[in-house]
Amino acid sequence: MEKAISELLRKTLGNNYDIAIEGLSPIPGGFSRETFSCTALVTQGNTKEVLPLIIRKDPPEEVCILQTSRANEHELIESLRANTSVPVSRSYGYELDPSVFGSAAMVLERADGNGKTSQLFNGGPDADQAEEVMRHLCEVLVELHQADISVIDPRGILQDPREVGIRTSSWDEYMDSTFEYYLSTYDDIVYDPSSIILLDAYLTLRRKRPRPLRLSVVHGDFNPANFLYKNGKVSALIDWENSRIGDPREDLGWMTTMDILSNTHVMDYPKKEGGFISYYNKLTGWNVTKEEVDYFTLFGSANIGVPVQSAIYRRIAGEHREFMHLYLIQSSAPAIPSMAQLLGYPGSIPNETTGVSS
Amino acid sequence: MNTTPSIDELLEGLIFALSDEILPYLNNEKSQATAVMMQSVIQEIRQLLPVFDAYVAKEHNEMTKVLRDVASLVGDIGSDASLRISERGATLGAVADVPVPENNDVNSAHRALGFALQDTLRDLDELQRKGFTVADDALDTVRSYLYPTFVRYASTVSIEGGMVGRG
Repeated sequence: MEKAISELLRKTLGNNYDIAIEGLSPIPGGFSRETFSCTALVTQGNTKEVLPLIIRKDPPEEVCILQTSRANEHELIESLRANTSVPVSRSYGYELDPSVFGSAAMVLERADGNGKTSQLFNGGPDADQAEEVMRHLCEVLVELHQADISVIDPRGILQDPREVGIRTSSWDEYMDSTFEYYLSTYDDIVYDPSSIILLDAYLTLRRKRPRPLRLSVVHGDFNPANFLYKNGKVSALIDWENSRIGDPREDLGWMTTMDILSNTHVMDYPKKEGGFISYYNKLTGWNVTKEEVDYFTLFGSANIGVPVQSAIYRRIAGEHREFMHLYLIQSSAPAIPSMAQLLGYPGSIPNETTGVSS
Repeated sequence: MNTTPSIDELLEGLIFALSDEILPYLNNEKSQATAVMMQSVIQEIRQLLPVFDAYVAKEHNEMTKVLRDVASLVGDIGSDASLRISERGATLGAVADVPVPENNDVNSAHRALGFALQDTLRDLDELQRKGFTVADDALDTVRSYLYPTFVRYASTVSIEGGMVGRG
């Protein structure tokens, strides 16, 4: 793989560079891609540069949690770098030919900063930075959501990146086509009838829609594990593979879910502004309500639920035997009662502000 | 409760993970041996689980009978040893039999009923969208069953500590 990395860098930087790759090793980089870390020593004449790198590589198709394109991810990241101040790691390029890296892969700058964001919470060693980091994180998200779609995505690669028939000509079209996607795939991914909560969520959300809001570029996996921080600022928002055109409240809802599952407290900050949603509203003027966040908490869970359930289904059907997919069943279990509460199930904790009941 | 994957399938997954994702990366013989021992013990658990409760109950009932039978054979001898045997037969040997669990295929029936509830949800949605408000009450009936089962499942299988491997 070292040779493949060098050649990809040379394509980007130029052929007159000597490139040596050191310290290549796999790292835990989320559930969806195989991730490696290494350092490139780049020499041109008497000039030497050290490039810390991340390699994101597709796992085998049957194991894959999310079927996404490294080419699209590269294009989006470079567009964000060129057109916004959203902190992202430079993408040096991608290779779709599986004979080069073993599968499609991309090479990114390894951003400076701490990725163990759990250290910001629960009395962790960086708890003193939480207020300012979360303030910046909110500002970064707002900039993304307010960005002009036609500037960020001029070729329309984010309109239907899963190629499942999503239409983004209007908010209503987006919601209609998304529910068609959820419901049409459900029967193909249900490995156990206990998944009924997902079906209930799809049907209920389709019946009870909130007010429309302008569509935006959404991160698509905005969660406590997908940013790095340094000196009270977000140094990089990472993992853009599930980014797409969608409702901006999806990112708020998904972060709410993952905050619970990760035992973090992103949504409680910045406390001086009354929490993440309050500050988001102050910056956007969109007046996103608690009921709407509840709705999109379910909607976001449904969105990620489709590919995750599908991957678990393939594991149980014997298409592969990777262990992580069995672990996902356990680690996502706490989300199920939370979803039931948001749907207003009788017997769940009373929630007067919940707006997604039957 | 999830019946799929079954407990046996989860244990099988651990054995596979040790073979595919752990053993190839262990670089000393002691660790490798421990990993193989772990596979062996997991396989033992797979073999024990389906029969453990039934065997223990059956053996419980057989042992009480043995204590009674032995007491009836030697309890009248009159020595200290025979008195002790007789006492055991009259106390522990007299403990009532426990029910022996039968190996019914409840999982398949449970699964079929779960899918029937899914079909019911779809039909209720159709009724709700046609304006039949009584379907709202019917949906609550389904949800009233589901909620405590979700809570029980989540509290039974969850381990604190967030999501391993995600920062």
